[in-house]
Amino acid sequence: MDDIDAMFSDLLGEMDHLSQSLAEATVSSGEDAAPQESSFSIGFNNLNESLNELEDHDLDDLMADLESKSTDQQSSTHNDTRNPTGNETSPPAVYQESEPVVTFPMITTQSSRAVKMNEPQTKADKIKVALEKLKEAKVRKLIIKVLMSDNSSKTLMVDERQTVRDVLDTLFEKTHCENSIEWSLCETNPDLQTERAFEDHECLVEPLSAWSRLSENKLYFLSTPQKYMMFTEPQIFYMWKKKSSGDMNSQAKELLIKEHFGGSTTIVPNLEGVLYLKEDGKKVWKPRYFMLRASGIYYVPKGKTKSSTDLACFVRFEKVNVYTTSSYKQKYRAPTDFCFLLKHPCIQKESPYIKILCCEDKHTLLLWVNSIRIAKYGAVLYKNYQAAVTRASILQIPYSALISLKLNHHLTPDFFNPPSGQEYL
Amino acid sequence: MAAWDLSVKVEDLGPDAPPVTISVASDLHVGGVILKLVEKTQMQRNWSDHALWWDQKQRWLLRTAWTLEKYGIHADARLLFMPQHKPLKLGLPSGKTVMLKACFSNPVFQTVMGICRMLNIRHPEELSLLRPVEEKKKKKDKDMTEEIYDLTEVPLSSVSRPCLYNGMPAHFADSEQMEGVYKMLSVTQPPPAPEVIAKQYRPASVVDKSHIHGRWLDSSRCLMQQGIQENDRLWLRFKYYSFYDIEPKYDVVRLTQLYEQARWAILLEDIDCTEEEMMLFGALQYHINKVALSEPQMMSSNAALDDLESALQSLEVKMEGDSSSASDLLENMTAPELNDYLKIFRPKRLTLKGYKQYWFKFQDTSISYFKSKEESIGEPIQQINLKGCEVAPDVNVAAQKFLIRLLIPAPEGMNEVYLRCENEQQYAQWMAGCRLASKGKSLADSSFQSEIQSIRSFLAMQKTNSGSSNNSAASDESINTHSLVSPRYHKKYKPKQLTPRILDAYQNVAQLSLTDALMRFLQIWQALPDFGLSYVVVRFKGSRKDEVLGIAPNRLIRIDLGVGDVVKTWRYNNMKQWNVNWDIKQMAIEFEGNVNIAFGCVTADCKIVHEFIGGYIFMSTRSREKSDTLNEELFHKLTGGHEAL
Repeated sequence: MDDIDAMFSDLLGEMDHLSQSLAEATVSSGEDAAPQESSFSIGFNNLNESLNELEDHDLDDLMADLESKSTDQQSSTHNDTRNPTGNETSPPAVYQESEPVVTFPMITTQSSRAVKMNEPQTKADKIKVALEKLKEAKVRKLIIKVLMSDNSSKTLMVDERQTVRDVLDTLFEKTHCENSIEWSLCETNPDLQTERAFEDHECLVEPLSAWSRLSENKLYFLSTPQKYMMFTEPQIFYMWKKKSSGDMNSQAKELLIKEHFGGSTTIVPNLEGVLYLKEDGKKVWKPRYFMLRASGIYYVPKGKTKSSTDLACFVRFEKVNVYTTSSYKQKYRAPTDFCFLLKHPCIQKESPYIKILCCEDKHTLLLWVNSIRIAKYGAVLYKNYQAAVTRASILQIPYSALISLKLNHHLTPDFFNPPSGQEYL
Repeated sequence: MAAWDLSVKVEDLGPDAPPVTISVASDLHVGGVILKLVEKTQMQRNWSDHALWWDQKQRWLLRTAWTLEKYGIHADARLLFMPQHKPLKLGLPSGKTVMLKACFSNPVFQTVMGICRMLNIRHPEELSLLRPVEEKKKKKDKDMTEEIYDLTEVPLSSVSRPCLYNGMPAHFADSEQMEGVYKMLSVTQPPPAPEVIAKQYRPASVVDKSHIHGRWLDSSRCLMQQGIQENDRLWLRFKYYSFYDIEPKYDVVRLTQLYEQARWAILLEDIDCTEEEMMLFGALQYHINKVALSEPQMMSSNAALDDLESALQSLEVKMEGDSSSASDLLENMTAPELNDYLKIFRPKRLTLKGYKQYWFKFQDTSISYFKSKEESIGEPIQQINLKGCEVAPDVNVAAQKFLIRLLIPAPEGMNEVYLRCENEQQYAQWMAGCRLASKGKSLADSSFQSEIQSIRSFLAMQKTNSGSSNNSAASDESINTHSLVSPRYHKKYKPKQLTPRILDAYQNVAQLSLTDALMRFLQIWQALPDFGLSYVVVRFKGSRKDEVLGIAPNRLIRIDLGVGDVVKTWRYNNMKQWNVNWDIKQMAIEFEGNVNIAFGCVTADCKIVHEFIGGYIFMSTRSREKSDTLNEELFHKLTGGHEAL
């Protein structure tokens, strides 16, 4: 027994240490995140303050969101935290186990389940639970405000484990908009005048954490018809040279997808052509012949041929994302407004490390941006598409049927408290 | 019926022995002829593999129930009685040669099936036999006799069903020598010496490449019919670039040989790639060689190993729950740190101060620095998070320069920071830390030690390369980087210059397992724009100049020789029918939308082109449900032409 005691005092010391460092960490992140009117991101320990700054309807939204989460997960606990002032941050709830007595700082509502689920029986179990708790305590959470195309907005909380796909599903539920595979979460950056739709597999918290303090960036929930065009209209990308590739029967499309995504390797469209490049620090846009390969974008150096061995590497995709732009004709005197750029997601302002390319027309831009996505994400993109199609077909069930489905899930109606009428009517 | 004399040469009696003459009647069936022959020779041996070959007609008399009359055999027929399986020297994709008994009487398609069964390669339909490129024998090379791995003693009957023993087919488990052969088949070869690469034949143009494809054997005829003799040399190669259902567990030999073929295609510039891609291929080859040497051979695929794996896994779970290890677990959560004096330089800052020494602390994914060790308890001068940053080495062992170049993303752009280490040891540790941190991993990550190790071995490589005169027996750690890239780069860069380039690419693959590294190599190969193209020089109907037809797994392309550009693409799924006019050796293909093309073949026989197209269509019909049995009949229907009918 002695060593167990020693061990647990070790453990507790460790956790004290951890929660202290956690507090430090969140305080500093709180300083960073000065809430703004339009959008903001904050650490969750700062909830009280930030919640006060929310407008009423935002607060309602957020509460609805938190509640739907707690009804999912709290059904077996009696630790009610649905106090609108954000009970999560008030003194840590103390949990009591039968024997021996262990105290865990309660940090989030979600974590309560892990403790209650299985009464820890053995030392090993307890340690497992403790480790899980420690992990849980490290999970980062953000409160985000998502703008709709009609300028309304929704506010919700995301934690760092949630993918864009998860958040999209939540938004479908909240907005009742017709679920189709075309919806995306897009980030806009007014400084750079760029836009990027997040991929479904990305963890939303990660790209949002790259936003700088006082950022004017916004997050939109939009229908983006291009999102999975490489799968709905593969011939546009894989037979781009053929001018009359407008229509194709579904069988032939399927074959194209199978050929390029079905094997052990994703085949990238063999895109090539003249694009305009803005050279570092210069105002002139120079035409160059660019070629897309799985390993990156290349250009044909002056006086050289298109042969692979002559090509010079312009950019590789491991560390950069592709963004579309607006009004670059005005901003940078680009030949056309059909520009895209490649940059590290952390870069938020003008910088020589941003690579800007300009296309002749809208169609060329569409080809390049989406083909680069194929090259960067490969099979993951295809998996995202398949998951999106499956989700869309499930959620196409008439809404009334969905409600009854939901009701059946929650067998404890005590905790099922319709928050704002319109949600579930 | 009248009896007449039939003379038959019996191979087993020796080349100079006179033909054996037997008295036959026209209604005697072939089986009877063989019986009489065997009796007459009075030799005791197993004759079951023997059959009659009719020399003038160039055909085997395999239907023993047919009578001589039905075959149309008269007294003037020159018949040969010999075994159907004869030894063949087979060049493998890895460049090694095996001697094995192959079937000389069945269509080559079946011969290849037999060979693949013996070598334990699944999906034999993707491979075929190729007449080798004649090697110009120089006098110097004479004393270098190549090693031939002998498989001729494998009894043919034992190969029919591949039952595994110790993870390899039973016929390889018989003796240590046989196990050695299997090892050669299933383990990747070390990188070839640069001189060996330089010496090999390299196609210089598309036309050169097209000549290779004129050498494929005809799948619907047997080896005898194609003039192949006992002990001749042939190459076994993957012919159809549509690799079905690669399963590393069962495909050890297939995967290894496929990698070897891909590696040589890259090294000999049979397929073009960019410089960046070449460096990555080089890094993967280096890594594959290293892991293949260190990893105990995963002969895999036997149940015992699977059990062991699951047993290990459950053991791991147990350990995790075990109280004795709990304190270890907690210890793991308090991450290790690196602490040392290093020098820092920020090139983009407008200060001309150069390198300045500070006390550095590496914790989690961040480095912080302090004025001195004594002040390290307080606030750091700066803390830099390395997550997502770019790490590049700048090392010169001879000059004792150990620089880590960091490119750290920030909202305003990328910040350049150089860290200067004192010595190899320090550099390897901090570099490994930076690499892991850039991927978001902390020093506590299990790969930290192996990362340090791989950085050190790369440093060792630079050492041996710089001491150029020192040509002593190189350890496996020190590979000449020229062994990893095509000759084009031998001219362009010195080994010393290549090392950092390959090292740079190596960062992203250093943690791959052997199988994953092989698969990655194949994936990058398959993603090259020219992958899977087999070229033939053709003359389109109505055209006056030669052009090149590229045959890919899903399409045909027409390449203008003058420009070197693809001028037209036709996809197989739009193909309605294709015909071969054997008399004028012309192929005619009809596509949907009334598109008709016709061409004669210049560098390869019509049959080869016909077989390529039919073969690819056959490959596309394979599906998971029927993958177990090979539809041989369909293959011949699609590729055979009029001869098959």
